Amino acid sequence: MKPSSRFKKRYISFSLSKEGAPPTMEEAKKIIHEHFLSFFGELGTSSLAFKLVKYDEKTGRGLLRCAREKTDEAIFCMACLKEWSGKSCRLEPVSTSGSAKRAERSKK
Amino acid sequence: MIDIVRGAGLPLAAGIKKAIVAGSLKNFKEAKSPSEALSACRSKGALLYLQRQEFDDGIFVELKRHKGAVVLALADILNERGFRRAIALSKMRLVVEACRRVGCDFVACTLAKDESEVRNARELQAFQSMLGMNRHEQKHSDKVLEKLVK
Repeated sequence: MKPSSRFKKRYISFSLSKEGAPPTMEEAKKIIHEHFLSFFGELGTSSLAFKLVKYDEKTGRGLLRCAREKTDEAIFCMACLKEWSGKSCRLEPVSTSGSAKRAERSKK
Repeated sequence: MIDIVRGAGLPLAAGIKKAIVAGSLKNFKEAKSPSEALSACRSKGALLYLQRQEFDDGIFVELKRHKGAVVLALADILNERGFRRAIALSKMRLVVEACRRVGCDFVACTLAKDESEVRNARELQAFQSMLGMNRHEQKHSDKVLEKLVK
């Protein structure tokens, strides 16, 4: 696909913790996917071009992708996560970048 | 960026220069009803917070006259779920639109009670963006907040 026709992306590095500890990969996938789905709905999530790119269950750090125009909405959605299954949960955005490499490199 | 919080001794999130406790501010007025809000906004430089955003245009006009600002709190969104959350966000958006029409200032903060409600500067910026504030209004709102908490 020509670069001009590709959709423009942003990568958001995040830090996920459930009751102070990083959850497992399966749990993290479930939390993030279901939270985004309940916040945006099916149509909204599809227009967001959302994808969980990477997640490290040891540190709780990961990378997700969204469409460039929807970055603020994605970050607001992440900010709105306060608890999951009755336990306190925090999905904190660390940095945003147009490339996955640079977003991963940034430290809190 | 400066934040207003409810709980004392909360950690400072990334990008937040200072977190001021609402109770320590003399001009922070929390009203429970529109009539209480109307008398509260008559003091100069008031930061007016109404939990269910039941404002009317008269309050905005008085706030503008006395150089105050409306406070919009992220904690109100965090403490709701589902449709109630959508309604709260929608009311805040309507408040921002009404303030814009009248020329009244508005500020966004977390009003965090505990550590789980603390949010960083980028998240507050995203909140302002979701309320319909453009970049110019966001910068102006940050300046107004810095001026009113002194």
